[in-house]
Amino acid sequence: MNAIADRYAAHNIGSIFLYTHEAHPGENYPHLTTMEQKFRHARDLRDVLGVTRPILADALDGACHRAYGSMPNMTWIFARSGLIVYKSDWTDAHSVENAIQYFAQIPQRRKAGERLAPFHVERLDYRNQEREQFYKSLERNGSKAVEEFRKAFPAG
Amino acid sequence: MNDLLTRYNYDSFMPEKFEPWMNFESSPKTGTSAPDFPLWNLDQSSTRLSEIWSQYDYTIVEFGSFT
Repeated sequence: MNAIADRYAAHNIGSIFLYTHEAHPGENYPHLTTMEQKFRHARDLRDVLGVTRPILADALDGACHRAYGSMPNMTWIFARSGLIVYKSDWTDAHSVENAIQYFAQIPQRRKAGERLAPFHVERLDYRNQEREQFYKSLERNGSKAVEEFRKAFPAG
Repeated sequence: MNDLLTRYNYDSFMPEKFEPWMNFESSPKTGTSAPDFPLWNLDQSSTRLSEIWSQYDYTIVEFGSFT
């Protein structure tokens, strides 16, 4: 997702990471109780996990996150007017880049004189589950996070 | 902490704690106006989601956390 942000920045495409709540709290990154802690975890997202996009924090009660459906790792795309043009209940870089390639052409098409009218599309995209990498990330949170995930999803 | 803060910032990944928050089906639809909310930069200065999306032709927003 960082690479997509870099690739499309010159096309006037913005990209941010919005910090929500701890999906898999563990001993190293426990559930949030203060905004100070939220900022600290968000800085680790930048410094430890290497997120290079601007990171913004939601309110401690997740007001923004909850209004958008509060999935743990979703991606939305907004037009300059605030129109919602893409929403995905999971973040997949292939899906996001496919969408942004399409949207990035819209301003030029309008400038070229095309009269564009919106319509709705429904599509089922596919993501790589990357189980090994996922379990490594759970271990980084602490053994509690691993144990709780295995208990919640024994076949996972 | 009040009840909402405690429930939203659940302390354990247990279905009865995380499933109530997974409401994508009832989230705003494409083609509608996005709800606007205050947000905070890492230097703790405040901004709004609308201040960000109004700067670009399109804005990608990934929601998530360290964990």
